[in-house]
Amino acid sequence: MNVVTSFPNKSETKAPVVPSFERILALLPRPVLVVQSDGVVIYANACSEVLLGAVVGSDVGQLFADFPLGLASMPGVLPTVVVSRGGESFDAAFAVLGEGHFLIDLRPFVDGSATKSPNDLDELTGLAKRNALLSQLSIALNVGSPSVAIHCLDLDRFKMVNDTLGHAVGDLLLKKVADRLRAACRKGDIVARLGGDEFVVLQRDTKEEGAADTLAARIVDLVGRTYVINGHTINIGASVGVAIGTNPVQARDLLRNGDLALYEAKKAGRGRYRVFESGMDALLLKRREMEIDLRRALALKQFKLNYQPFFNVSTNKVDGFEALLRWEHPIKGTIPPLSFVSLAEENGLIVKIGEWVIRTACIEAMSWPSEMVVAVNVSPLQFKADTLLETVSSALQRSGLPAHRLEIEITEGALLDDTENVIQTLNALRDLGVKISMDDFGTGYSSLSYLQKFPFNKIKIDRSFVAGNDADSEAILRSIASLGTSLGMAITAEGVETAEQLARIRGERCTHVQGYLTGRPMGKDQIPAFLEQIV
Amino acid sequence: MTDGMYRLVYYSRNHIASDEAMFASNVEEILAKSRVNNQRDGITGALLFNTGCFAQVLEGPLDKIEAAFERIQQDERHGDVSLLALDRIHQRSFPNWAMGFIGASDIHAKRFAAIGSSSGFDASRLSGDEIHSLLKELAIEEEAAA
Repeated sequence: MNVVTSFPNKSETKAPVVPSFERILALLPRPVLVVQSDGVVIYANACSEVLLGAVVGSDVGQLFADFPLGLASMPGVLPTVVVSRGGESFDAAFAVLGEGHFLIDLRPFVDGSATKSPNDLDELTGLAKRNALLSQLSIALNVGSPSVAIHCLDLDRFKMVNDTLGHAVGDLLLKKVADRLRAACRKGDIVARLGGDEFVVLQRDTKEEGAADTLAARIVDLVGRTYVINGHTINIGASVGVAIGTNPVQARDLLRNGDLALYEAKKAGRGRYRVFESGMDALLLKRREMEIDLRRALALKQFKLNYQPFFNVSTNKVDGFEALLRWEHPIKGTIPPLSFVSLAEENGLIVKIGEWVIRTACIEAMSWPSEMVVAVNVSPLQFKADTLLETVSSALQRSGLPAHRLEIEITEGALLDDTENVIQTLNALRDLGVKISMDDFGTGYSSLSYLQKFPFNKIKIDRSFVAGNDADSEAILRSIASLGTSLGMAITAEGVETAEQLARIRGERCTHVQGYLTGRPMGKDQIPAFLEQIV
Repeated sequence: MTDGMYRLVYYSRNHIASDEAMFASNVEEILAKSRVNNQRDGITGALLFNTGCFAQVLEGPLDKIEAAFERIQQDERHGDVSLLALDRIHQRSFPNWAMGFIGASDIHAKRFAAIGSSSGFDASRLSGDEIHSLLKELAIEEEAAA
């Protein structure tokens, strides 16, 4: 066992001469101040004098704009950013010296953040990351500067760039976006990338009236301008959500408000900015609740199909029923599709709900007299999901319903985007033997080219032309009907409510009618009685 | 694929205040800055301007052209940039980079004549190529619209 019993004799080597601390501080290339609790400077190193004009006796509140004096008297206070009268930003750290004295150590504030370490920086763009942003935001909010603003930004069509030109070009694009954001901001503002194409700008000084709007508009303009990368011309857009922080607000809450405003900007049509308003969270909260309810509804089987009969006007018989979706909410009662389908389309739930509708309609139609058709509405989103064909064929197979007894109703909306793919799916469905009809014709674009692109089995004329008993409605009804018949399509007049309307329709070459007059939507259990009564 | 010489052509809406002195000082600043940058980057071409618009042809290596265009896009003295062409070219149409007033305003033509002659601006070079003459026409149209 070795026991150290002696130490090398230190006195043998000459102790280095340490300059006085006074001199070290004087040579320190950044300002150091000692301040009394009333803000009077009792020590200022040479650098403070040069950079801040600070001398013993100065009032620290006069040296900086918006100096948070209260902060200096709080032990262990967070570092914060102060701006000198000369406009230079410093990262200030405070230490308590005792006897009511405080040390203020000021490091020059570099490119938005002095406290950032390489880990805080986004590798691709060199921008701050979420944590750095949050801490800077908390500081800015705590300093009590009159107001700061958060700009949450999302690139429109970025995914398409990645998908079509590759990730290498996508990355170059993100770098250029970062550059443009830096160019749009002032010194002291912080630009952060939270991941993907999500950016946030922390705007520090929004005292000036409309300063936040100005920056948001500038971001939308600059980021939305054409890019040229590796010889490719790239056009994307920027949507921005702005939240203005007035005390007291937590950093996370402000960011969330910015996100809510961004959501509104995107909903309003993208390529624009929206400033957060207090109503937005309530509205979104309601939608969120409804979304949770809607997901649960699917699991709890709260959906139900009602059926409305359609009549063949030449045979005076029921040809089939259109399946109509209802949500039987345990508290809110029956909710019609108009109130939840747009939400379901937005969050993609419509695909699952739509699958349920097709499967259920096929099974329930099996109990009807043979040859009766069930018509099912399909959302444009279901075409985009690429699973429609599979869903339909498996629903037919499992239920045993012959394909010609299923009719898929689509609206023009389904044909708006990606028309080629949709037509391909429609052709495949027709090959299965399924009937395809065009719903609500006359309300959208009513483009005749759609009728030419796909041989629909049926056109359903919107109820508004049936209800209107003026000459114009009648002329439109007649033209659509004769156009459809000459193309070999069946024509359904929707929303027939009176005997007079029915008489009129018989004269206009419509082949089918559907409406309250000939039968209201009913539950599946009422169908047998209904069919019995009309025979 | 990205080697060789490229040509980028655009025109944009002028956002500089219509105030005479402001306009002139901005134009001079653009000339001074662009001259340095473009000489360094081996870019030649022509920048046409009037109170309505800027219209520019840039010729040079692709990466330099892209960097120059990015600087241009970040400049808030103009907006609504319409990119007319980005193609490979076999030879330059412009021997240097020059800038000149183009438009119907006699006052401005006179005021900015010095800039044109000092930078070697030669309007006749703008009629050799279809896209160049189109650019010239567009620029004159934009002046009238402003």
